[in-house]
Amino acid sequence: MAGHLVHRAVLSVPVLFGVLLLGFMLLQLVPGDVAQVIGGPQATPEVVEQIRRDLGLDRPLAVQFLLYMGRVLRGDLGYSMINNTPVISELAEAIGPTAELMVACLVWSVPIGIALGTVAAVNRGNMLDRLIIAVSVLGVSTPVFFVGLMLIMYAGYQWELLPFLGRAGPLWTREGLAHIALPALTLGLIFIGPVARMTRTAALEVMNADYVRTARAKGLAERTVIVRHVLRNALIPVITLIGLQAGFLLGGAVVTETIFSWPGVGRLAVGAILARDLPLAQGSILVLAVSFIVINLVVDVLYGVLDPRVAK
Amino acid sequence: MAQSTATTTATTTAPAAPAAASRPPSALRRLFRDRLALAAAVILVLLVAAAILAPWLAPNDPYLTNTRLRMLPPVWEGRGRWQFLLGTDGLGRCLFSRVLFGLRATLLMGLIATAIGGAVGLALGLLAAFYRRLDGWLMHLADILLSFPAILLGLAFAAVVGPGMTAVVVSLAIATIPTVARVTRASALVVMGQDFIEAGRAIGLNDRTLLTRYLALNCISSVFVYLTLRFGQVILLGSALSFLGLGAQPPAAELGTMASAGRNELFLAPHIAVIPSFVIVLLVLCANVLGDALRDLLDPRLRNG
Repeated sequence: MAGHLVHRAVLSVPVLFGVLLLGFMLLQLVPGDVAQVIGGPQATPEVVEQIRRDLGLDRPLAVQFLLYMGRVLRGDLGYSMINNTPVISELAEAIGPTAELMVACLVWSVPIGIALGTVAAVNRGNMLDRLIIAVSVLGVSTPVFFVGLMLIMYAGYQWELLPFLGRAGPLWTREGLAHIALPALTLGLIFIGPVARMTRTAALEVMNADYVRTARAKGLAERTVIVRHVLRNALIPVITLIGLQAGFLLGGAVVTETIFSWPGVGRLAVGAILARDLPLAQGSILVLAVSFIVINLVVDVLYGVLDPRVAK
Repeated sequence: MAQSTATTTATTTAPAAPAAASRPPSALRRLFRDRLALAAAVILVLLVAAAILAPWLAPNDPYLTNTRLRMLPPVWEGRGRWQFLLGTDGLGRCLFSRVLFGLRATLLMGLIATAIGGAVGLALGLLAAFYRRLDGWLMHLADILLSFPAILLGLAFAAVVGPGMTAVVVSLAIATIPTVARVTRASALVVMGQDFIEAGRAIGLNDRTLLTRYLALNCISSVFVYLTLRFGQVILLGSALSFLGLGAQPPAAELGTMASAGRNELFLAPHIAVIPSFVIVLLVLCANVLGDALRDLLDPRLRNG
């Protein structure tokens, strides 16, 4: 098991390296003088020169990349151009809310998606199945922002059920919980569709397996067959596929955070890009990319736990 | 998803791929026996036609602002006017005309990104299957690209070249490449295992003819099916980026940008945000329904996605 974990972790090193390299190369594509861009339009030539020397921009590209990697690994991501705070501390504040939002979304949408997918598979071909398929196709065809705006419009504004602006403290307080409800609902609603669909496919495949026929032949109750034999085995591919949907979830989170003014990394990234705050933008994109890699790593490891055959 | 389909198709060498290409008319007829797919195809054709004919169909200038006619509701609500079928937006511009032009921009964005990404992905996938020496390298490259979700590519490009349609189209095209390459490679490997490739070699055909005539034509149907499904996702991602302000810039009419602008008047005039969003849903829904039907018909192996 530990070997499997180490193996997967080592495999993600080249990807991480690629992410850093791409982040670095993107900075090379910036039109004009990077030092000038980072310094901002008001920077004097002396300041620009200082930035150039500090960042090693007058050295060869390969050296620059190594310097950049060294700085990133030491947690030095530069300073935000807008409010002159260290990028790393801005990110440290934003990463918690993003993780909260993701967890709050997964906690309710994955179980419901799995339940819907199983119900659809069990009722294959009849009205219930078709209804669930239709709802999940509609789900994957709807932009996150549409769901978010509708929830703000009705649940937030007209019916005054829940707050829809920002975060209000930790989740164990009433206020904090109320504020995360609508963002988590938004993100979860678009995630149910894919999960239900994947579960249905996986469950249908398992239902044809010999051991399911054996279980039925033993005279087990249909409920037991479905829960013990079908669902448990169908969950393995579903977990993997949820990992592959991490990018989809990340994109949804960026949009959701922006709509609900949720103070997470996604909103930080979008704000930084719109304000042309290059160091902050680069730092937050890097964090998003790394979290994507970490999610996939966690899924891989989980996969090994659920299916010991993989971990060998 | 792409990874799982790639491995399953590569291992189960079912000799099925080239059959569909030889009888397109009957496949089309079977497709349209599925009423839902037929409806989706009709709506898509209508939407595309509306987008192409936008300059002639639009009753008003989509960019003409009028402060006295701000936030008019659609005609089906009491205060609506027939001159503005879908009402006006926050600056008094005709929403119907803007939706037509916005549809044009959104469709064009999706088509260009899907076409570029699809073409490059197809080429890479074919090369990987044909020249086995390249295979490992190309697929490693695809894996690294896959570890950059499309939304991050969009953010990164917008950060570097500045927000705009170029950043969106380029990032969506790049994000499309690795998955298309994987789908192409998987179906090309099946084709490569068949006798007619060997026969082609035996009669002395050069690599170029083998690649384009023998291999590419036999893979094109699976890739096309995949691209139809991908098209919907590209539209969703593109409009999300535009919604964030990273795509088409105001005053340009683009559905995502328009939905975003509607946020300002969400409580006073919800139709300004709702109508463009609804058109996006319609577009993506039809692409997905049609893609699903095509897949079941032409390439059931992709079904896991």
